[in-house]
Amino acid sequence: MISLSHYLTVGAILFTLGLIGFLTRRNLIVMFLCAEMMLQGVAINFVAFSKHHGNMHGQVFTMFIIAVAACEAGIALALFLSLYRRKRTLDVSVWQDLREQGIDETVDTEPLLITPEEPDPVLPKAGHLPKRPLEETHV
Amino acid sequence: MRFAEAPLILLADTTENALNWTVLTPVVAGALAIWYLLPSPQKRPLFGGLIAGLVAFAGVAAFLFQGLGHTIPATIEAIIFFGFSGSAILFAGLMITNPNPARSGLCFAMVVLSTCGLFLLLAAPFLMAATIIIYAGAIIVTFLFVIMLSNQAGPSSADLRSREPVLAVGVGFILLATLLVGLQRVYDYRSVQAVIDESELLAKAEKTPAEYLTPRKDSDLGKQVDLTPKAKAYIATAKAALQKMKLAAPEQTGDSDLGWHASVKAAENAIADLERTPFKENDVESVREDTATIARCLTYLKNVREAGGVADDVTLSPYGEVKQVGDGPKKMPAANIAALGRVLFTDHLLAVELAGTLLLVATVGAIVIASGRREKSR
Repeated sequence: MISLSHYLTVGAILFTLGLIGFLTRRNLIVMFLCAEMMLQGVAINFVAFSKHHGNMHGQVFTMFIIAVAACEAGIALALFLSLYRRKRTLDVSVWQDLREQGIDETVDTEPLLITPEEPDPVLPKAGHLPKRPLEETHV
Repeated sequence: MRFAEAPLILLADTTENALNWTVLTPVVAGALAIWYLLPSPQKRPLFGGLIAGLVAFAGVAAFLFQGLGHTIPATIEAIIFFGFSGSAILFAGLMITNPNPARSGLCFAMVVLSTCGLFLLLAAPFLMAATIIIYAGAIIVTFLFVIMLSNQAGPSSADLRSREPVLAVGVGFILLATLLVGLQRVYDYRSVQAVIDESELLAKAEKTPAEYLTPRKDSDLGKQVDLTPKAKAYIATAKAALQKMKLAAPEQTGDSDLGWHASVKAAENAIADLERTPFKENDVESVREDTATIARCLTYLKNVREAGGVADDVTLSPYGEVKQVGDGPKKMPAANIAALGRVLFTDHLLAVELAGTLLLVATVGAIVIASGRREKSR
């Protein structure tokens, strides 16, 4: 039989991975998803304890977690949109003016050796032929 | 512990030392794998991270099979559990290491789906459906929408870097090691079971084995007599086992002679009695009686701990429970949604109202923040 402690282990691992992701990643949305993953780890614990004790209270707690996560998602989405409108990026580092006094600014010193991927081709407006090299035929 | 013994003790599969190999393997290999695979400006070959990740996976499986002291039979339940928890952990790792936020979002959807499988295994079908609809259906889709809206120029340089990876991975995996050691300490009953087995052997034996009994010599009369090493070891392990069971005792009704506190008291008395006289007096009847008491009480305490004691001093409605018949794992109500609804609207009515208010306030707040009317009027 799979016992309570096995589920607690899985919940602990999910929580830890979410914590690491929240601390290291710099994209606002990925940080938010990592926080949600920590909530998932906690939810597994609650439901496992609910089964362990043979009553429904753990499941009720998980329902409230879902409700609060939904509120959080709505507010966070609205905040991200308005932040994105101001700075045109989702990187949290551009908001480091809000940091505590006396803490140094973090600057990216390591050069970026990986070239970012090529952007997707942008199609012209309808009615215009896109510029393209002349086709060569070998007849 | 001498320093030379340290590596051997780290490898020994005991619960006496906190950091044994079942804890160390997943934590160290997992930390290496996550640190290696996190987005970084330097291009790292994928190979090392993959190997460390595989070792970490094997370590987690070893912890689940060996470290918690429960044998897992190859049932359908075990197969489903390992499938879902394995995919949850795998996609969680992929999610935090993938530099592309859209792929991270899709990995998070997979984590949610795997978690829902675990919910189903834990007899919570309503929560499974609700989580799929709300997380995978609503939250993921809206966030993918924002990612698509904002990342039209391709991945940015911020996604290819991570902030303080060494410190963050260190902190996270130290936390994980603490949690795993705690789980092992609390839920590994192998040491208690060993004491129970030894006590039952002693209780059933016709004659107490000679290595427990202090030999009687006429010259010892009037002197302080020590116990034999075997008897000393037995009493020490019994005391340790009882101490372990006393940690975080579930509240039980204390009126019957088999209640929690009565059992603890009886076992304590029996151990003290054995330590004081019977092993020295060669009193076989007393030894058998005391060891039988220890075995019975420890078995009872262990069963209560494994089955999950119920707090009697908390007044809650009976709607969320069914009558439990016999020992073993507790049964859940068969009509999951009906029981959940009854509990929600009896015991947790105020919380339901507050959650509704919170949702309303969040909706209003989201509309106000996202509308951007203030920016236009400026």
